[in-house]
Amino acid sequence: MPEADQDLAKTRRFLKERLQRDYTTLRGYAEERSNVRQLLQRTAEMGESNSLLLIGPRGSGKTTLINAVLTDLLANKSFVDNTLIVHLDGNLHTDDRVALKSITVQMQLENAADGRVFGSFAENLAFLLQCLKAGGKQSKSVVFILEEFDLFCAHHNQTLLYNLFDVSQSAQAPICVLGVTCRLDVIELLEKRVKSRFSHRQVFLFPSSERFEEYVALCRELLSLPSGSALQEAVKRIGGLQKIRSEALCFARNHFDPNEYSFSPRVRETWNKHVAKVLASQQAQRTLQTLYDFDISEAFLKGYLFRLVAQLRSQSPYITAEKMAALGSQFEGDDKIELLCGLSVLELCLIIAIKHHSEIYDRDPFNFEIIFARFSKFAKVSTTMQGVERSIVLKAFEHLRIGELIMPLSGGAGGGVGKVQKEFEMHKLALTYGQIQQAVQRYQALPTEVAQWAQSSLI
Amino acid sequence: SRLAEGTPRRSIHLSNIVEQRVFKEDEVISTPKRGRPSKKTIQDSDEDYSPKKSVQKTPTRPRRSSTTTKPAATPSKGIATTTAAPMTPSQKMKKIRAGELSPSMQQRTDRPAKDASKSELQLAREQLHVSVVPKSLPCREREFENIYAFLEGKIQDQCGGCMYVSGVPGTGKTATVTGVIRTLQRMANQNELPTFEFLEINGMRLTEPRQAYVQIYKQLTGKTVSWEQAHSLLEKRFTTPAPRRVTTVLLVDELDILCNRRQDVVYNLLDWPTKSAAKLVVVTIANTMDLPERLLMGKVTSRLGLTRLTYQPYSHKQLQEIVTARLGGSEAFKGEAVQLVARKVAAVSGDARRALDICRRATEIADTALVKCVTMLHVQQALAEMIASAKVQAIKNCSRLEQIFLQAVAAEVTRTGVEETTFMGVYLQVETIAAFMGVTTPPPGRALRVCAKLGAERLIISEHSRNDLFQKILLNVSADDIHYALRVGDVAN
Repeated sequence: MPEADQDLAKTRRFLKERLQRDYTTLRGYAEERSNVRQLLQRTAEMGESNSLLLIGPRGSGKTTLINAVLTDLLANKSFVDNTLIVHLDGNLHTDDRVALKSITVQMQLENAADGRVFGSFAENLAFLLQCLKAGGKQSKSVVFILEEFDLFCAHHNQTLLYNLFDVSQSAQAPICVLGVTCRLDVIELLEKRVKSRFSHRQVFLFPSSERFEEYVALCRELLSLPSGSALQEAVKRIGGLQKIRSEALCFARNHFDPNEYSFSPRVRETWNKHVAKVLASQQAQRTLQTLYDFDISEAFLKGYLFRLVAQLRSQSPYITAEKMAALGSQFEGDDKIELLCGLSVLELCLIIAIKHHSEIYDRDPFNFEIIFARFSKFAKVSTTMQGVERSIVLKAFEHLRIGELIMPLSGGAGGGVGKVQKEFEMHKLALTYGQIQQAVQRYQALPTEVAQWAQSSLI
Repeated sequence: SRLAEGTPRRSIHLSNIVEQRVFKEDEVISTPKRGRPSKKTIQDSDEDYSPKKSVQKTPTRPRRSSTTTKPAATPSKGIATTTAAPMTPSQKMKKIRAGELSPSMQQRTDRPAKDASKSELQLAREQLHVSVVPKSLPCREREFENIYAFLEGKIQDQCGGCMYVSGVPGTGKTATVTGVIRTLQRMANQNELPTFEFLEINGMRLTEPRQAYVQIYKQLTGKTVSWEQAHSLLEKRFTTPAPRRVTTVLLVDELDILCNRRQDVVYNLLDWPTKSAAKLVVVTIANTMDLPERLLMGKVTSRLGLTRLTYQPYSHKQLQEIVTARLGGSEAFKGEAVQLVARKVAAVSGDARRALDICRRATEIADTALVKCVTMLHVQQALAEMIASAKVQAIKNCSRLEQIFLQAVAAEVTRTGVEETTFMGVYLQVETIAAFMGVTTPPPGRALRVCAKLGAERLIISEHSRNDLFQKILLNVSADDIHYALRVGDVAN
């Protein structure tokens, strides 16, 4: 393999891994980060009990912030020795029973042995509370990280939240409860007594790439290759994590490892110069602007860039503005129109009939009989659709239904009120007229008759 | 309406923030009598039967087995010598159930920082922590007197009774009750009062109401048994007369959680005091004032009686007094700063926890600003952080399409005059607004994604996207907020 190909493969692999697996690098949010960091540090060092909610839209780096703060702190030996970290996730720990078992295991309490927890739910709770109560300033601090915090609020009586917050407000073992959620109104979900015990510290994370220039800068940073010294720094930062691999920190395993990569200055320079040139071009800016208008989160940009990087081949080893634009238009496309273009002519005829019906009767629901009558009127005078049997049309109608281009009124299969025969079940159209029109225009080899019929319902 | 659903119908509260940090170990307030060095003194007092007889009579009683029969029992077990050979997990579990293994936490490797090394702000922050309960609560003297008189009377008269204490969260209910108990325990130790036993349960710490029996029995004996067994043992204890039975004071926190449909647990807890053999005094704590009438059955309400006490939310003067009392003579806070906190909190909830938390946050802000004294500005910043809502900021930080979508929902609400809109109507508005603003209109699929994203943040309330064009959308922020957020942004640009 020529050297240039190897370099390209390495670059691609590096960029991909950095996009996907770099769990601990956080850009921006200096204030929020130091806020959380100080809170955790005080919990660990002084044995203060605290609670905090981290709130922000999806994809805004809430988990990354926590990971980054923990990475910083874990480099510090006194933090590692004096804290236990307990990770809980609202999606995994669907009720207090499961969450409690997981806490017992992660805290290595005495009724847990090798991941198996003994005793009933009530016993587990009593035991955990006794342990926390028995603890004091001398015991290790426990950091509870509750992801998808709003789902914990849905648990019966909010027992777990009450008890965690209650411990944080009483002179027991020092704990810190860190809730992470995307719901802005999460505090309203708490019961009154739980709310009173919560300390009302909320850290809001809103994507700070508010201005488009910052967005482009972020894009450049994500695409360019770092200098050797920057790589060394990252290695040093991650190094602490690798050492405590056994500590069951979920993000430390399989982390992006900058140690494996080094780039010659020549490769780096040409690549970075190229990236900068492409990003300065009009076309690339326009593509990024449409992405930015749609979603300003870093996660979305990363998804886009991953696909862009994955297209790098030895035949076209550089990112170009054209590639970016092509991929951007893929992101903007309408999948339903693609789906419509894949239908048979008969099915498209039915869709057109449904559209005519909806236009005339102002989106009134329809059933097979209505549509079949409308279709038959067209089929009789058309040259291509004559002699299509009713059963075939019914099959096409069912095909539209399972494709969810039309939806039954009641939502349930077989109809809500009693059992309605399938020819008579009422449906609604799940498409806009604009989509149908575009599909008719883009359909390959559509008979002219059908295209003309689509224009007007008069035959 | 959907917003308010977060707070359930039963709404009641307070905590057990009573801890060994302020009160020394020998002032044992509550339960874990097992394995405590001070066990001896209490042990005699909480016997049902005269201690000497019962050694032979009921040799299986766990407390006794741990103290008197243990030396004999251990050698016979062979392996289970408590100190040496490691136990298998199930042996350990057996010990935990028998109450012979005290639960413990992992210890720190280094000593926590000394008080002398801390700055004045740090000391103030520690003093302001909610867990540091003062020995006498300020501004709750009248309630203290009230409960004290009730409990002392009941203990002196050797009869049973009930009391119901209510008030919104954070008004000092549990703290006063445990304060009273502690005073009474001290008096009992000095033989100024007949000895009594103290048990406490908390509804929210139980997984189901019937676990109350288990917890009560566990505090009496240290043993964990099933609730049926615990129930019958307690029933036996409270209904059969026994000479030298001492008075038992039972504190039931979060009473509303113990109410289930059958209400057998609350009924039993309130029925035992009526038995002459029991000598049980029950103090119940909950949040709502009318809980007995609203939630409980007639016979239960009747047994609960009319000895009730209501805690009013703290006024701003009281909150100020509480905070200044916590600070002691410290100069860390400016007087007007405390007053600002007190006034703001008293206007919202009158919750002492809230006031203390805000003060604590203010000390942190002052700490990062590298000053020694907390001023008005720091408090203002803390108040903004802890009380303010972030909806306007969230709207400002939405992407352009998200903002257009929000505007479209508001426009559709104005057009139809109904709060609830459908996606189809909103999409038409999106097309209009986007065309007006010169942005390319997103296809419906992407608009649905925008809708789902806003729904996740709860800026709007939307159904599952399965309903596609027909999903209903509600605006969760006020239209004025949208207008304000977007217009103010425009001016700044």
